[in-house]
Amino acid sequence: MALLELREVASAYGNVQALRGVSLRVEAGELVTLLGANGAGKSTTLKTISGLIAPVRGEVLFEGQPIHRLGPEAVARMGISHVPEGRRIFPGLTVRENILLGGSNRKGVTRRQLEAEADEKFQIFPEIRPFEHALGWTLSGGQQQMLAVARGLMARPKLLLLDEPSLGLAPLIVQNLFGAIRDIRARGTTILLVEQNANMALSVADRGYVLETGTLILEGSPRELLDNEEVRAAYLGGHHA
Amino acid sequence: MPPKISRPWLVALAIVAIALPLIPYRFEVSAYVVQMFMQAVTYAIAVLGLVVVLGYTGQINLAQAAFFGLGAYGVALGTVTGGWSFWLSLAAGAAVATGAGLALGLTTIRLGGHYLAMITISFQQILDLVLVNWIEVTRGPDGVAGIPRPSLAGFELADDRAYLVFCAAVLYVVVFAVWWLPHTRLGRAMRSVRENELAAEVVGVHTLRTKVVAFSLSALLGAIGGGLYAGGFAYISPDNFNFARSVEFLTAVLLGGAQSPFGGVIGTLLIVQMPEWLKHLPESLRFIKDVYLAVYGIGVILIMVFLPEGIWGLIKAARARLARPADTTDTSGVAPLDFDVPGAAGGPVLRVKALSKHFGGLKAVDGIDIEVARGSVHALIGPNGSGKTTSLNVVSGIYRPTAGQVMLGEEDVSLLRPHQRAGRGMGRTFQNIRLFSTLSALENVMVGAQRDRNPIGRGNRALRARAMSALAFVGLADRAHVIVRNLPYGHQRLVEIARVLAGHPRLLLLDEPAAGLNQTEKMEFVDLLRRLRGHGLTIFLIDHDMGLVEKVSDRITVLNFGRKIAEGSPQEVLRNPDVIAAYLGTAGKVN
Amino acid sequence: MPRDPLPSFGTPRAPDSDPERKPSVEALTNNLQVIFQGLALGSIYALVALGFVLIIRATNVVNFAQGDFAMLGGYAMVLFFSALGWPYALALVAALVVMAIFGVLFNYGVYYPLRHRSFLPVLISTLGASIFLQNTVLAVFGPQPRPLEKTLPVDGINVGGVFLDSQYLVILAVTLLLVLGTYLFFEKTLLGKKLQATSQDKDMARLLGIPVALMISITFIYSAVLGGIAGVLVGPILFVSIGMGSIIALKAFAATIIGGFGDVTGAIVGGLLLGVIESLAAYHISVPYKDAYAFLALFLFLLVRPQGIFGEKVSEKA
Repeated sequence: MALLELREVASAYGNVQALRGVSLRVEAGELVTLLGANGAGKSTTLKTISGLIAPVRGEVLFEGQPIHRLGPEAVARMGISHVPEGRRIFPGLTVRENILLGGSNRKGVTRRQLEAEADEKFQIFPEIRPFEHALGWTLSGGQQQMLAVARGLMARPKLLLLDEPSLGLAPLIVQNLFGAIRDIRARGTTILLVEQNANMALSVADRGYVLETGTLILEGSPRELLDNEEVRAAYLGGHHA
Repeated sequence: MPPKISRPWLVALAIVAIALPLIPYRFEVSAYVVQMFMQAVTYAIAVLGLVVVLGYTGQINLAQAAFFGLGAYGVALGTVTGGWSFWLSLAAGAAVATGAGLALGLTTIRLGGHYLAMITISFQQILDLVLVNWIEVTRGPDGVAGIPRPSLAGFELADDRAYLVFCAAVLYVVVFAVWWLPHTRLGRAMRSVRENELAAEVVGVHTLRTKVVAFSLSALLGAIGGGLYAGGFAYISPDNFNFARSVEFLTAVLLGGAQSPFGGVIGTLLIVQMPEWLKHLPESLRFIKDVYLAVYGIGVILIMVFLPEGIWGLIKAARARLARPADTTDTSGVAPLDFDVPGAAGGPVLRVKALSKHFGGLKAVDGIDIEVARGSVHALIGPNGSGKTTSLNVVSGIYRPTAGQVMLGEEDVSLLRPHQRAGRGMGRTFQNIRLFSTLSALENVMVGAQRDRNPIGRGNRALRARAMSALAFVGLADRAHVIVRNLPYGHQRLVEIARVLAGHPRLLLLDEPAAGLNQTEKMEFVDLLRRLRGHGLTIFLIDHDMGLVEKVSDRITVLNFGRKIAEGSPQEVLRNPDVIAAYLGTAGKVN
Repeated sequence: MPRDPLPSFGTPRAPDSDPERKPSVEALTNNLQVIFQGLALGSIYALVALGFVLIIRATNVVNFAQGDFAMLGGYAMVLFFSALGWPYALALVAALVVMAIFGVLFNYGVYYPLRHRSFLPVLISTLGASIFLQNTVLAVFGPQPRPLEKTLPVDGINVGGVFLDSQYLVILAVTLLLVLGTYLFFEKTLLGKKLQATSQDKDMARLLGIPVALMISITFIYSAVLGGIAGVLVGPILFVSIGMGSIIALKAFAATIIGGFGDVTGAIVGGLLLGVIESLAAYHISVPYKDAYAFLALFLFLLVRPQGIFGEKVSEKA
């Protein structure tokens, strides 16, 4: 049984039919990436999984259980952690406080435990340790992204959803970030990674899907997808007249 | 055109309207009842002011009782203290009130929403305090007594019944004017401001002026009501013109239906008459009266939750269901859309020079230069966050540039407001479609035709003709009278384009025009763009669908991190390794 | 709605006159007296403004019924302490429990049904709530303002010629404690952090598993209790009346705008400032127009610096 499965999911975002029947699966322990041009429906997919959007058709199954009717709080409690596009760290709270709140989905955990786990997160992302008590809004884009991921990990998720972590970040920082993502994956967290930066994503993924205007057009291993003309065409046009 | 009322209804309405105020002449009606209706009629005039500013224009006004008071005190002090005639005093009160309304309207240049509510409340409170405390002038809490009745064409209106007929006549005139207003140029502008102020501004509506006029009209109507009230009751005191009264007016207009003068009248009748009717309840039901005042407040909440368009909204909805299906629009005789842009010369239509836009430390756009040649389709692309939308927003005037210039033809428009740019032929559509949802397709497009200096005739007829031509061009002439929120998504997109075309644009800015369209719709859209280019229109667009961009564009500029990284024909640009790297990213060394 | 027949809220009490003292010292003492009173009144505004801002931050709702929370608190005390004769402490607890319950009712009755609508329906809805509250209290208690006895052992203390009314001192002390307590709650506890997170980014809070609906409920409860305490504090000075909430609400709203809309520190500073401005202006210029000064100050701020003292710039337009 796959950890996560989407069956013919159709979702709307505003008036727009963003997803037109998407089926995919993520097995436990995998790092699967979802690629596609802007507007393809990648973010909508993650929002449908995490409960911010209810699908108009289809099902989302997590560990075999349907979750597509649940709200985000409930989905978080089931062990799915969504790090949304644009980082969305709490600007008026410190780095440490942001991280602590990442554990809000867990039952019966003490403050002391959370504080200890927060310390661990600084080992994965040493770059933000100096800013431990700085307010969120003062951090740079790259630092905020790392903070958002660290916060997402505090949920001890069974499935981590990452939405365009490289967005707006300089190439060098993106490299560091993806190094950390690879590290997280190595420690056993299942990851569904949505990315516009196809090459970067495929360098860390086990498998990939390609979305184009709401439908899946490709699936395969990184080797199959890398340098695939179809992938380039999905982003930059040039296929089918 | 205002909705057609069938002949029988019109006659019935006229009969009732004329007969009602004449009833006291025919039947025995107590003076108390006549006065009650006098009060209702004068209040209704004030409430109609709220229909204009709140119902039509969407601006909150919690000072209507203050304007009512200015009119009342104008008449009272003018006649009693100054010895002036009733009419002169009324005019003076109305003038002061309108001036105050104008000033309040001007505050909307900076403020909206809560701030506006607060400013109107402050004005209301200050006026209340002045009325109570400036005893030398206003006589304070004692009020002003002995206000005389006016005489009309030599006929003294001393008889309450005669005065009621007079007030009713004024009310009817005001109702008619307010009923007609939504279908005028100004009225459409007001409704567009209410529905989507940003879109209205971008499409060419002078939004500030519209709001100021709305406030001024509201104040004027309030003052007229107040003046007539003073003349009717011979005695006024500050108690009648306080914040509580403003809230009462607001409740009346919400209950009745803020979008219609009939709603305003219905609401006023209910709010004014309700306590009176309750007085006459039999003993057993008397408790309702005690509870009424408390329930009144809950009623407001319930109206907001369940009946946002008031009682009149219910009536309208019921009528719509019972009505025959709408007449199909007569699409014969619609002239083809005329694209001539007078004064067109050679040279680029749009030039962006060293343009930058910073948000605090973030350099969203960092020094870009673009030239859009006349009659071409020029696309702006780049990965998410590259600054495309920000650039477009600076060009259309929603943002002020941090540095650099925007030239439209030979003119530097960098500091012009969006409606001014629309007045020079710059048209723009939005990624997430900003139509005026409760207006029909035709009305939406007519607002586009209303932009300043549009080279068409003045008057509704010319606007309508232009709008129908634009709708016909996009193939929607037969849906002209459909309310746009009932149109399917693809058609809404087309209406937005028609709206911009109605303004004779020389530059068309399209923000992700194909977003949300399916493949078929996209093909049709490509055709539309090609037709537009064929007519000589210059188009500057952003989109993510590269297939579409490649098909329609003559030239493409690519942005990344706020800077231009490539420019050229689609073939050159879409194979450029830098561009591919920007989109697909580089794997680099992952440590 | 009945007009409040009482002397205007916070008429400065004439300070003790000592013929031995020099006029300049006398003037200084008088001013200090007025400032002291202004601070006490300003504390009431600050408490109501604080509750007001907390709701705005959590839900974006501008609550025109906020002042009526104070009115309710005052009447609850009238019921438990004056009418039923319970001991003060017990009456106080009961009043606060009533306010807490009321906060929940307000959340579900007024905010919840309209939470997805634009600001205008919600604002009007809170106006409706205000009308409902005032008229319900009117129906139960009648239009006559009710006194709340002072329960303090001493009338006040005299410090260097300035008479410090004990009730005013209590207001200042309680406000200080509450502000401190609120600060500690929001800054030091995890629940406080969750409430802040809800205010800053509701959807993100939900994604982390924070029960946002509960957070909002708590905010309303806290806000209602703060308002109720303000009413209990100010009751002994000016009678408890139906309309007292309206004018306090408007001034509290003005205070938040002056301090910086949506800013917690701004609400408190704005409230204190407003109280002092009002009292000084009433003393030096004229008493009847006392209420006008608050609105004049507000008017000026809205025109010149709408973001208030601590606020960020109101969003730019081209």
